[in-house]
Amino acid sequence: MTSHPVNGLDDVVHQRVRLGILTIAHEAKRVEFGYLRENLELTAGNLSQHLTVLENAGLVGIEKGYEGKRARTWVTLTKAGNTALRDEIAQLKRLIQQVDGRR
Amino acid sequence: MTNQPAVDEGDARQQLSRARELAQQVRRSQRATWFPLLVFAVLTFLSIPIFRLGHPDIVACRSVGTLPGGGPGRVCVVHNTATWIYWPIALVVAYILIAAFYRYRAQARGLSSRVLPYVVAGVAITVGLTSLAIWASHRVLVGQRDILGWHIDAGELYRFIGPAATIGLALFVLAYVERSVALVALTLGYLFVVAAPFNTAVRSTSPWGFAPQVALDASVLLAGAIGFALAQRPLRAVAA
Repeated sequence: MTSHPVNGLDDVVHQRVRLGILTIAHEAKRVEFGYLRENLELTAGNLSQHLTVLENAGLVGIEKGYEGKRARTWVTLTKAGNTALRDEIAQLKRLIQQVDGRR
Repeated sequence: MTNQPAVDEGDARQQLSRARELAQQVRRSQRATWFPLLVFAVLTFLSIPIFRLGHPDIVACRSVGTLPGGGPGRVCVVHNTATWIYWPIALVVAYILIAAFYRYRAQARGLSSRVLPYVVAGVAITVGLTSLAIWASHRVLVGQRDILGWHIDAGELYRFIGPAATIGLALFVLAYVERSVALVALTLGYLFVVAAPFNTAVRSTSPWGFAPQVALDASVLLAGAIGFALAQRPLRAVAA
């Protein structure tokens, strides 16, 4: 017997904003804090909180630096983040397939 | 407390749909297809005066029996010396420019792109096909050959390994990197123009006789650059 797909979901990844961050970071090699804030329509504080959760879980790497006088924060997806995102998408697809199969 | 979220089917569909939308949005923001096309169009136009300034150089000859007058017949591959020098340098410079442009855009927009595979593939294709063209000029591209039942002038095979083909192959890599079906279509059109039989339809004894075909190749790239620039303009405006 296979476990229910919901059991494979992790709230760290499944949370709407964090899944968005991981998806964007997966598509881009590196993504800047400002791009994430604009495209996910978040406040700087809110985004920082989500990034901290993802960084603590080892799913993203955060690199801070300066470009001229302007502070920049770059986010990259780690190997663990890539795996977590792939697993999350697979579980979501399985969940939908299971529901569709019952109809 | 559990770390398993409460999820229903609607939520799962919504999450997947949003992830797809975000991924597509990122890909659209990363695309700058018009720039490589513009660079290659300019380089192709520039090759016309450079090619004209070069001088023809016999690379290799092959005996083909006897001439009507009784003397021994020979066919030779004549190449323009400027081409060997101009194109390898121009193509490598093009990839450096393209890499620099994408890097500048990444800094400006806060979003990197995976252009490196395209640049590496472009340089590798340039080195590979240029070496093949030099080798083939001495051995293969002389006289006429029968290939799979087709009787062709071997010199025409140069179009399949020359600079235009190099640009075309690298554009396929860019299309893959940018996941752009439109660029695949444009590249197919470009390669058709480069390789199609009407290439040889315009023959001239003028030293500029080669120019119309090269200008046509460049125009296809330029038209593509303008088309992509217009198509990507609203996104640039939004991102700015």
